[in-house]
Amino acid sequence: MALIEELESLGVDTQEALQRFSGNSALYERMVGKFPPAAADLKVLEFFEKGDYETALSNAHTLKGVTGNLSLTPLYNAYTEIVALLRANDPEKAKSILLEIIPVQADIISCIERNK
Amino acid sequence: MEKDRTILIVDDQEINRVILAEGFRDNYNIIEAENGSQAVEVIDSGRKISAVLLDLIMPEMDGISVLRHMNKTGSISRIPVFIVTAATEKDSRELLMTAYDLGAVDVISKPFFMNFLKCRIGNVVELYRHREDLEALVEEKVNRLEIINKSMVEALANIIEFRDCESGEHVKRISGLTKILMTEVTRMYPEYYLSKEEIDKIATASILHDVGKIAIPDNILNKPGRLTKEEFEIMKLHTVKGCEILANIPNLIDEDIYNYSYDICRHHHERWDGRGYPDGIKGDEISIWAQAVAIVDVYDALISPRVYKAAYEHEVAVNMIYNGECGTFNPKVLEAFNNAIGKSEKKSF
Repeated sequence: MALIEELESLGVDTQEALQRFSGNSALYERMVGKFPPAAADLKVLEFFEKGDYETALSNAHTLKGVTGNLSLTPLYNAYTEIVALLRANDPEKAKSILLEIIPVQADIISCIERNK
Repeated sequence: MEKDRTILIVDDQEINRVILAEGFRDNYNIIEAENGSQAVEVIDSGRKISAVLLDLIMPEMDGISVLRHMNKTGSISRIPVFIVTAATEKDSRELLMTAYDLGAVDVISKPFFMNFLKCRIGNVVELYRHREDLEALVEEKVNRLEIINKSMVEALANIIEFRDCESGEHVKRISGLTKILMTEVTRMYPEYYLSKEEIDKIATASILHDVGKIAIPDNILNKPGRLTKEEFEIMKLHTVKGCEILANIPNLIDEDIYNYSYDICRHHHERWDGRGYPDGIKGDEISIWAQAVAIVDVYDALISPRVYKAAYEHEVAVNMIYNGECGTFNPKVLEAFNNAIGKSEKKSF
């Protein structure tokens, strides 16, 4: 299965994303390919565990922007909520949402890696 | 084709930069910066930037710091800055308000819709461009107006020269000498300080000092010999007549130049001791510019040939003025005159 179709089956709004990339699917695929290293780099869970909620917030905010622009919708919704909860001083709830979304994120990442 | 508009995209995430760059590539040159410090370097380089798309949360230097920097350097008033952020009005009201307070023109939320984005940014870029064109146009018109102003003044002065047997170069020399003398007065005496712009206006205004001579009958104005007492009384009227002429054309010349001209016309024959005319005012009742024109007018008359006298040498003329043979002048202005004009070789001013 091609990457875009496979992503769609994982809940990614590829139609919206392609519109954002002016219909350039090759460019979209190339940019989606940059998501796994970005996610690995930002290590949100690690900062949660260290209790560094400030960095966790800043990095979750960055992921919110990136997943939004790539229309990785389930991830975008989760990071939006995580950011809001951290801003509202509720790290416990934020962390539980993060833990819920991590397997979904792993699926998306492995799908991307597989199709490289 | 080389595009004449450039957009600076500032975001630490390559994914975000690429989407924006892709969307604007067709109509703009694109410069990308990964953080605030790179952005500031581009903005300060003097390169013409039509818009900045600025992320807020970035390592090294964040978006708010970029805005602060642009406020400090003033570039914020020339370049529209769009905040491009995942922060929303709902969850980051204060942050976004700070950005607006620092001069950001608009906030665009991630994820964005390129078509909306292109319209919003394109509209503002055109607006700024339009404003810039208007400013350039106004500046050009103001310059043109100044040239016309000066020409009007010179045209008026030329009319007198046609009637007056004095050298046609007289008014130009008066203007040049007035500028030299006023510059020296300003340099030597802080109490008489005037800016260079004001001195330039005074120099232009001095051209009109004898405009009232147009109202003096030919047989007196061009009499080849000394004037009788009655004739001299009529001749003296050229000061007040000059003011009357100027009063009839108040809108023809720049207001400042008009005011200087009016004062110079009336008072360039007053003397420091009160023995001049038409008002017999004395000391610093006489404006410093009228005092300056008075002394250079006397000097120029001395070094020019007249129907009733030959031209004096420069040194002789300076000495006559300095020794009080031509009336009493402000000692300070006399000192400045001696420094700036007296000590120099006779030049063609």
